[in-house]
Amino acid sequence: MLKTGSFAMPEANDSPFLLDMHERGLQNLDRMARYDEKETVDLLVIGAGAGGVTLAQRLARKGWRIVILEKGPLWDPDRDWVSDEKGAGPIYWTDNRIIGGTDPIQMGKNNSGVGVGGSMTHFAGYVPRFHPSDFEVRSRDGVAVDWPISYWDLKASFERVERELPVAGQRWPWGDPHDYPHKPHPIAGAAAKAWQGAKDCGIEMRVGPVSITNGVFGNRPHCIYRGFCLQGCKVNAKASPLITHLPDAIEHGVEVRADSMAIRVELDDASGRVSGVTYVHDGQEHFQPADAVAVCGYAIETPRLLLNSTSRRFPHGLANNSDQVGRYVMVQGATQVAARFPELMRMYKAPPPEVSSEQFYETDESRGFARGFSIQTVSPLPIAWAEHVTAEGHWGLALREYMRDWNHWTVLGVLCELMPQPENRVTLADQKDQFGMPVASFSHSLCDNDKANIAYATKVMQEIWSGAEAQDTLKIDRYAHLVGGCRMGSTPEESVVDSSHRAWDVPNLFVVDGSVLPTEGAANPALVIMALADRFATLLEEKNVA
Amino acid sequence: MKPFQDAEHLPSRGTWDPSQLPRQRKGKTPQMHGRYPDYDVLAEVDHWDDVTRKLVVGRVENVPPYRFFGEREVPTLEAFCDCLTAQDDEPRIPVLAYVDEKLFENDGDGYQYFDMPTDQETWRTVARGLDDEAAKLGRDSFAVLVAHEQHEVVHRFDQGELYGGAWATFNVSRAWSIVVRYVCEAFYAHPWAWNEIGFGGPAYPRGYAAFGSPQLGEEEHWEAKEAVDVDAMQDTQRKGLD
Repeated sequence: MLKTGSFAMPEANDSPFLLDMHERGLQNLDRMARYDEKETVDLLVIGAGAGGVTLAQRLARKGWRIVILEKGPLWDPDRDWVSDEKGAGPIYWTDNRIIGGTDPIQMGKNNSGVGVGGSMTHFAGYVPRFHPSDFEVRSRDGVAVDWPISYWDLKASFERVERELPVAGQRWPWGDPHDYPHKPHPIAGAAAKAWQGAKDCGIEMRVGPVSITNGVFGNRPHCIYRGFCLQGCKVNAKASPLITHLPDAIEHGVEVRADSMAIRVELDDASGRVSGVTYVHDGQEHFQPADAVAVCGYAIETPRLLLNSTSRRFPHGLANNSDQVGRYVMVQGATQVAARFPELMRMYKAPPPEVSSEQFYETDESRGFARGFSIQTVSPLPIAWAEHVTAEGHWGLALREYMRDWNHWTVLGVLCELMPQPENRVTLADQKDQFGMPVASFSHSLCDNDKANIAYATKVMQEIWSGAEAQDTLKIDRYAHLVGGCRMGSTPEESVVDSSHRAWDVPNLFVVDGSVLPTEGAANPALVIMALADRFATLLEEKNVA
Repeated sequence: MKPFQDAEHLPSRGTWDPSQLPRQRKGKTPQMHGRYPDYDVLAEVDHWDDVTRKLVVGRVENVPPYRFFGEREVPTLEAFCDCLTAQDDEPRIPVLAYVDEKLFENDGDGYQYFDMPTDQETWRTVARGLDDEAAKLGRDSFAVLVAHEQHEVVHRFDQGELYGGAWATFNVSRAWSIVVRYVCEAFYAHPWAWNEIGFGGPAYPRGYAAFGSPQLGEEEHWEAKEAVDVDAMQDTQRKGLD
């Protein structure tokens, strides 16, 4: 087992050395391959996020010729990103989406990224592993479905990816216990308060796990604790595939074609195989032929693209003859409770992700619901803090006073595992976007188990703050993360792809992103998405996929 | 206990009167009151990276002109934004100008409720609705209502208790959540608001070494110091300042 501090650099990924210590942008773009549009590439990847870039990097090293299409820009953090909450807007996917159901999910900055690096450019940085139980919740707890693979199929992938990000944190006692390559970061006063409050309630917390460098790692600088993880890391200390995998991918012949919106995966009706992808660049339609296509657009855009790709064989959308595309989309119940203390907390300092607990992760029948939740510290900047205040109905003088009081507050959040439900789904709306493509409509409603989980988790947070003798609290009900929508499974009737990520009925179409998750656990999804891409690449290398 | 260590001033315990707050001595805050009278985040601009500095300083110095809202909508919605943010005096953060810019540039937040129109249409409808309420009181515009009348209308908007006319065309509670989000984003993106709440602002490339962990001490020398007394003279003396 890997021991903290006994750390070796990743063996098959030179990305940290291909970056520059003093400039944040990629250094090898002048060497990037450019494939002709008449040339059929080995693999066309849609979406340059956690799944797509990791997959491309792995296969490029095996000699595959790969193009990645990405809707947004290829970022240079020095030039394109700012140390400002409102100014981070461009890194969020803010094209319109219609939201509905009894519990609609706010999109945009909360859960959707755009541009090379995907949502990981603005994720907080928490990278916990899924637990072994997450893969068999039907067998263990009688809810949802089992995955067609187990934790042990992914364990080696988790370990490889943790070395590449790299992950900093204390030895992890929950799930499959393990160490992390970098030692835990020091914690700020605000997080220490949460730690103490939890301890007084008998709740164990641990520092991390976060994908933020805490030591020497190639040319990636150490974290400077400036607190803007959610606005894009201008330091290159927090991991995203833009810096953890793309530099190496480019070095091995991957072309990333930015500002290119895929609008249809084209099918050859005669052979039943996909032939390539039609995309829009600079207002013009282009077609890139490919031997295989991997859709890595995440839980909203992957289903939307497949649903928009109709043909004689698939009149209701590609790979959708069982009406599974777009179903079982999940978010996590992410209620947050803020607490007020006499001393100054100054939440704006240090990374928002600091300490967390998975003590409530597994099912405990005495709580009256299946599955559980994790607890993590978060640190809203002023605009996000205003959302906490207005969530309790304050405006005018009361808004201003709670805002002035911000530096006395610290915040805990939970991630409650919500159940996959067929009607929580992405469909195509009547409204069209700037590419002439129907916008996604996302309907979301909670079930009774979801509500019981969120209510219990909220009570635990309130107990922690009560134990810490908080003077006042503010609660906001919200949701975080997006997974599902093209789930993997054991039969074509109940899933979109098989255990090797291949679409049922389309031999050269793969889905390699968070949309394949059959259940979501109570862990942040970035690590498992990268791990799945790593495993899938291994399967292809071993020719376990035809 | 020092006045801001206890929690008696919090709105959950009663009404806090901002006229009791220290007056700002350095830099600007909206209405010149705040908790950090000697802190000006704009005095730190030399420590910010060029891209961020240009954006944030530009936000203060180049207030965008009205391009989305019309002549009738502007006074109505300015009064509404001031009411939402309790801006009853100069200096004011020009909230509506930033809202106008966001709507004009169609720089939305990435979602639209199934039972709501676009954000642009929502804002226009809110302006019409507010003026409808003024008409019920025999006045031409929400902007000419006196403060307690405006407050009463906004209170009913908050409670989802506005009916008929413009209000009947959408879900009033969702409309409230949308306009509140736009207003808070505009207000708390502004450095004058950061002065008021003691936010460190942009922190690249400087970062923080003193972030409260026990082994590293409490705060950077330049960070906002909270007033120790609501009385400016007492505060100055107790902090050992001139």
